[in-house]
Amino acid sequence: MIEVVCNDRLGKKVRVKCNSEDSIGDLKKLIAAQTGTRYDKIVLKKWYTIFKDHVTLGDLHHGKSPDSLGL
Amino acid sequence: MGSSKKHKEKSRDKDTEERRREHKKHRHKDRERDASDRDGTRDKEKRKRSRSRERSGREGRESRSKGERGSGEPRVKKEKVDLGYDESNAEPAPQSASGDASLSIEETNKLRAKLGLKPLELNENKKELGTKEEPLVAETINPVLIKQQKEMREKLAAMKEKRIQNQKLGKVKTLADDDWLDDTSAWVEKSRNLAKEKEMAEKRAKLLEEMDEEFGVSSLVEEEFAQSKKDAYTSQDLKGLKVQHKVDSFNEGQTVILTLQDKGVLEEEEDVLVNVGLVDKEKAEKNVELKKKKPDYKPYEEEESVDDMVTFKTHSVLSKYDEEIEGEKKKSFRLNTGGFADGEREREIQAMREALRNQAQSLEMPSLTIASEYYTPQEMVGFKKTKRRVKKIRKREKQTAADELQLDDTRSTDFGSRTRGRGRKQADEDVVEIKEEEEEQEESRLPQDIPQMSDDIRMAEMEISDEDDFTPPEPAVLEEDEAEQELQKQLEKQRKLKQKQLLKDSGEKVAQQIKVLAKDDPENDPEKRNNIVFNATSEFCRTLGDIPTYGLSGNREDQEDIMDFEQEEEKEDAGDSDSEMDENVGWSTVNLDEEQKQPDFSTASATILDEEPIVNSGLANALLLCKNKGLLDTQMQKVARVRAPKGALPNDNYCIEDKMGFDDKYSRREEYRGFTQDFKEKDSYKPDVKIEYVDESGRKLTPKEAFRQLSHRFHGKGSGKMKTERRMKKLEEEALLKKMSSSDTPLGTVALLQEKQKSQKTPYIVLSGSGKSMNANTITK
Repeated sequence: MIEVVCNDRLGKKVRVKCNSEDSIGDLKKLIAAQTGTRYDKIVLKKWYTIFKDHVTLGDLHHGKSPDSLGL
Repeated sequence: MGSSKKHKEKSRDKDTEERRREHKKHRHKDRERDASDRDGTRDKEKRKRSRSRERSGREGRESRSKGERGSGEPRVKKEKVDLGYDESNAEPAPQSASGDASLSIEETNKLRAKLGLKPLELNENKKELGTKEEPLVAETINPVLIKQQKEMREKLAAMKEKRIQNQKLGKVKTLADDDWLDDTSAWVEKSRNLAKEKEMAEKRAKLLEEMDEEFGVSSLVEEEFAQSKKDAYTSQDLKGLKVQHKVDSFNEGQTVILTLQDKGVLEEEEDVLVNVGLVDKEKAEKNVELKKKKPDYKPYEEEESVDDMVTFKTHSVLSKYDEEIEGEKKKSFRLNTGGFADGEREREIQAMREALRNQAQSLEMPSLTIASEYYTPQEMVGFKKTKRRVKKIRKREKQTAADELQLDDTRSTDFGSRTRGRGRKQADEDVVEIKEEEEEQEESRLPQDIPQMSDDIRMAEMEISDEDDFTPPEPAVLEEDEAEQELQKQLEKQRKLKQKQLLKDSGEKVAQQIKVLAKDDPENDPEKRNNIVFNATSEFCRTLGDIPTYGLSGNREDQEDIMDFEQEEEKEDAGDSDSEMDENVGWSTVNLDEEQKQPDFSTASATILDEEPIVNSGLANALLLCKNKGLLDTQMQKVARVRAPKGALPNDNYCIEDKMGFDDKYSRREEYRGFTQDFKEKDSYKPDVKIEYVDESGRKLTPKEAFRQLSHRFHGKGSGKMKTERRMKKLEEEALLKKMSSSDTPLGTVALLQEKQKSQKTPYIVLSGSGKSMNANTITK
């Protein structure tokens, strides 16, 4: 289990617990459940790289974690 | 913890206790996180959350920052969230101290279940890892151990397989396992059983027989058996069987066991009898043959095209491979009735072959041998004969040589027309009677040739006569050959008869001849003289026309001949017109007689000084002059004349001498070689020769121009109009230039001036444009 912190820099910041096997799409849904934003409107990015839905968190977690995810 | 925090602690003393507690809790929490179990922290977290919620009202910022620290998440950034917002958000989603909302695991799991996701995996991280307090020793990798394990595993696997196989094959009975072979008692039992069964069977058969007899069927059974006996294979059945051996291979009185040859089950061939021993023997023989390594290819082999039976064998190409392709052809014979084979037929055939062979005739020629250089004694006998023949031939040669000699003699005495002409010349000089006498002499010399029709005919006759003349000595020489002797005798007789007749006739003939001669001597002459002799030189000279220098040197010997000929012509013409004689038509004709007469006349007139012959009147005159002056050696001329062609046979019409005599050629060449005598008087004379050419107008040409002229003449075409015009102009200018005097202008002004001065008698002349102002400008000279 890992915890992902997401911040939209407009006041919404959530920590989401998820499995490393979860995809970005799943994460988006979880975030949506927590924040109330529609999941298809969420774009997760770390700096300027936008994460695509099919990528699992485990893929990203190798060495670098998606610590800064723009909501 | 950071220094800022401590600073805060100092500033706010009232919270020290709480802070300490918190600190402891934080520490504890950290430790807990390090530990494997997270579930244990749940309640604490709850507690903490509630506490933070309690605190949130009064502590605000500080607590938030603390919570941030407390969360222990290194990734979380400091985020300033509005207090009010934080408050409002607290309801829907629980928020961490740092302000970011986070759901509990149960809540998350619920949520995940709703979304259709797996529940969260817990405690996956710290499974085997020991805690900090009791660390676990990581298992060391020992390669030796691993190897041992591997080996053990393999061993076990092999053992297992073996066991399984044993289980499988254990059920099969092997041969060795058969107990009856080993067990003697069992064997005995078995054999006894067999014997018993046999006995039983016999008994049964007897019983059956008895039963048959009882019922009267025995006779039928017996018949059947008899038939089967008849069917047995006897020697009678061997008829027509094939034995695959030569008849020769079986000797008389020897027993050879023949067996049926092996063959395929499905092959439907007739049965063949063979003897294994013989087959082996044949094979061995064949191998020996092959070992001999005879060359297969015999290009010059004399093959017998005719078979033994005088039938033509068909020659196949590369017959040596026939055996390999079609298989070996085995010699075989068939057995007769009763299984006999005496090979009588073969023997008969052999005999026939022999007979035919003896009848045959070979067409072989004796082989060629190099001829030996020496005769064998037998051949020497034959050699003598050839010797005789050789002798004969030699004699013949002798005879022919003699003939030729004789011929030459006749020629020397009689030179055909020319000599006769010469003779006639003399006769002309002398009195006619003397000439007649001469002729008579001649005739007496050659009695057979009285009718002198033509030289050719005469020659032919002469040849015959020559042979006749020379026969007498022959028989003496050719004594050996009798047949020849006889022939010669006969010929001699004939000849003698002929001669006699001729002698008889000769008297009359001579008389006749004389008469004829006396009657028409002039007529007879031309007949003799109509023999014309041409040679290449004379012909050439004739076409050349009048050559002033020709013959001046006196080296031409033929000129005499030619002159003779011309003379003859003139003589013929003489009767017609004398005036023509003097004319030189194309050829400077010379009347030799006249010339010869001339000196005679001179001597007759007895003038001391000879009249000088006029040179330009003719060649002969020139010659004469030379002779008189002693420039020409007459002796030399005579020598040349002797050398003159004797063999030149005058023909009826003409003959080309050059083509006639090969012997004459050389002598003549000598004559043509040139004048060998020097002009002794003119020894010091060294002529300065200049060859100059002139054109039509008589102008001397430069070498260049001369060549151009020559070239134009040779090619038959001159230069073009323009060129010639230009040249003419140039020539004219040149001519003008030549004409121009050095003291005058080309227009002759000086001359005009002088003339004017003369006419005006003034030392000057007035130059004026018009005649009016003559005085105005005068030039004094």
